[in-house]
Amino acid sequence: MSWLALVANRLFWFVPTLLGLLTIVFILSRVVPVDPAVLMAGENASAEQAQRIREQFGLDQPLIAQFVDYLHDTIRGDLGRSLYTQQPILTDLAARLPATLELAFAASLVALLIGVTLGILAGLHRDTLLDHVLGIATISCMAVAPFWMAMEFQSLFSMDLGWLPLSGRVQGFPPAQVTGFIFLDALITADAGALWSALQHILLPTLTLALPAAATMARFTRNGVIAAMSSPSVDYQMAMGLPRRVIIWKYVLRMAIMATVTQFGLTFAILLTGVVVVETIFDWPGLGSYAINSILQSDYNAVMGFTLCTGVMLITVNLLVDILQAAIDPRGSA
Amino acid sequence: MRISRRAVFRTVVCSAALLGAVALSLPGGQAEAAESGTTFVFADNSYYNSLDPHTVFDVPSAAMRFNLYDGLYRWVDNPPRLIPWLAESDSVSADGTVYTFTLRRDVKFHDGTPLTAADVVYSVERLIALRKGPAGNFLDVIKPGKTRAADPSTVVFELAGPSAIFLKTLPDILIVNSALVRANEKDGDWGEAWLARNEAGSGSYRLRRHDPVRGFTATRFADHFAGWSDRPIDELEFRTVLDTNTRVLGMMRGDFQGTDGYLPYEQILRLRRSPNVTVLEQETMRIFGLALNNSRPPMNDVHFRRALAYAFDYDGFIKNVLKGSVSRNPGPNPNTIWGTPAGLKGYSYDLAKARDELAQVQGPLRPLTIMALAGLSDSEQAAILFQNSLRQIGIEATVEMAPWTVAASRMAQAETRPDVVPIWKSTFYVDPNNWVGEMFGGRYVARTFSFYNNPAFDRLLDRALVSDSQDERQALYEDMTRMVSDDAAGIFIYNTRWYGPYSSRVEGIRFSPVSHGLDLRWASFKR
Repeated sequence: MSWLALVANRLFWFVPTLLGLLTIVFILSRVVPVDPAVLMAGENASAEQAQRIREQFGLDQPLIAQFVDYLHDTIRGDLGRSLYTQQPILTDLAARLPATLELAFAASLVALLIGVTLGILAGLHRDTLLDHVLGIATISCMAVAPFWMAMEFQSLFSMDLGWLPLSGRVQGFPPAQVTGFIFLDALITADAGALWSALQHILLPTLTLALPAAATMARFTRNGVIAAMSSPSVDYQMAMGLPRRVIIWKYVLRMAIMATVTQFGLTFAILLTGVVVVETIFDWPGLGSYAINSILQSDYNAVMGFTLCTGVMLITVNLLVDILQAAIDPRGSA
Repeated sequence: MRISRRAVFRTVVCSAALLGAVALSLPGGQAEAAESGTTFVFADNSYYNSLDPHTVFDVPSAAMRFNLYDGLYRWVDNPPRLIPWLAESDSVSADGTVYTFTLRRDVKFHDGTPLTAADVVYSVERLIALRKGPAGNFLDVIKPGKTRAADPSTVVFELAGPSAIFLKTLPDILIVNSALVRANEKDGDWGEAWLARNEAGSGSYRLRRHDPVRGFTATRFADHFAGWSDRPIDELEFRTVLDTNTRVLGMMRGDFQGTDGYLPYEQILRLRRSPNVTVLEQETMRIFGLALNNSRPPMNDVHFRRALAYAFDYDGFIKNVLKGSVSRNPGPNPNTIWGTPAGLKGYSYDLAKARDELAQVQGPLRPLTIMALAGLSDSEQAAILFQNSLRQIGIEATVEMAPWTVAASRMAQAETRPDVVPIWKSTFYVDPNNWVGEMFGGRYVARTFSFYNNPAFDRLLDRALVSDSQDERQALYEDMTRMVSDDAAGIFIYNTRWYGPYSSRVEGIRFSPVSHGLDLRWASFKR
């Protein structure tokens, strides 16, 4: 299959996948015995006030009608309004997406850097003390719950050592918004203080998110290296007398990296899942904390909007991974 | 292009060194605490989604309502006092239906526009037209078009009938700048979309920035009519910090100068050990009890309910589970307000009496459902303790943990409401009607604690709501309280103590059970 055909194939499945996702989330959100109108009306409201809210947001309509309306509006780019912020969902998502993307990007970068490095080291030193130590370390990182790791980091780096901020995305309110990406905005507005502050604030949530992902990547990279080292082509190169470092650099790493790239799509999904918890603990104003709040308050449109947004991100990342795989090893796409 | 391994290695090492350097930077973490010296940062566990004082009405929104806006009257201090705020004086007609208020003439909105009676009229009409937030307190008594401006400083309310609680609920009508809101109305929405993100008040603080993702900041309004002490706080920030541990650590580090006063008690004990934190303590008016669904058998049998009331271990719960952090409150009204008959003892833990009452139940018994509010330890622990006690008298109960969203929805109707819900009743206005009246009155069925159906109670309530005699009202509410206590219409456990954590650099916090320590115009940093 050519690259073009691969992309076309993935795009063809893009819409049905999203539709399936939305249908499942819609059904799940409606089977929970919650009446958002009662919640929104407040503790002191009358039944009539709650009914008025139901009518205002179409919650009094049959479920099928609500779903059809939702799909119709979604196709037109209208994801509805949030019950609580009273803003269009797109506006809410746009306000929070940059924070999450910034965190996910930083965590992916750190995870790649640490995971690939440790995976290669472990694979090249298979069954040595280093391999065992790294094995224990990576399994520990995967086993530790993100919320516990987050609190331990806060306790150590913020409370005991006082090196890093406890929470938030930047000290005080962020600099004047241009793109919503705080690093970019700080650069554009030449606000060195905000840039420095943002860098300090992103470190702990990044590490919390990145370590489990790095551990997973390290395991996969290690296995990839071991498999490559015992492959017939490497045996052949060794028999040909090529120096070990040339074989590793030129053949082993190239073969091993396939496993890492394949893994990255899954790792990104893990990162997005972790974001929900990490953003809450570190008071990081992104999609994760928005999702938590929306779920707790049964803000249907917001939950659906979050799902749609993360679904699109995941499918896009997986598409990019497929393309990258095809670029590294064209045989896979044949 | 060939990249040498050495180059790759150097890149990795440099990246790690950069990360390390940032992590080890000395000004890093400490800067936050130092910089907040000029700003009072209050961390709360809820979002400030909307800044419209006519559509939101919950405990956290008091931060917005009482700092950015003013009302005709205001509740302050503890025990709460109702003091004139925008109003200088009031008079009421002989039949109790016409209230006339004279406004102060020196009040300005934040844009410099004078506040007049026309703004009050617009605010009232807007509140009852939107029918959200605090509107529920007024829809019965204020009808559209019945509030008028007699002159720029006189406003007249013609009520649908006499109301003994009208003045007490009046602080919940906050006054907006009518010209400014009108200019931002769209399609007859009363400016609702605009005011959710902007501000049109005359309050002690003026909105600077609002970000629903983060919270809002406000600067001191120097021209506020009430004047200022010599060292007021110039800038406030109300920040959403959902995680309790993060709020507590932030207080201990000095990042935050205040956080919510209803934290779990073990967190209060942590905060007390920090030199950066002072925990203020007040008996408040937020009662906790087991709300019983009186509508379904066998819960509609008074003997069954009394058996339940005798089966809760009040002292064990308060002394052992809650470590004595709250006060026993035997009736539906807080101990700190009138309306409870002298010497009301309520029920005590006595399983023998519970069995005696159970023996008198006429119909068949069935397993009960106790729905605890998930994540709220008092509610969860009370549910489990009660389940164990019930088992000892032969009643099986299932405990369900549900988030507030699920619980609130199920509680809205008698058919879906669980048999028992351990829950709080907060202060919205300071009158026994806020508690015994609303929890058990048939007219308040949507906000009732109980689905209690007692025509004799409702007759007393009707009289209490129109009486202009304090003595008569007191007697009526005492009778109502006695009635629900005798009927065991609910199980009343404790009155909450408020433990307000503030920075030890802050002084002048004035707590009121209505504003929950969030009305910050009197606070200042110590010299």
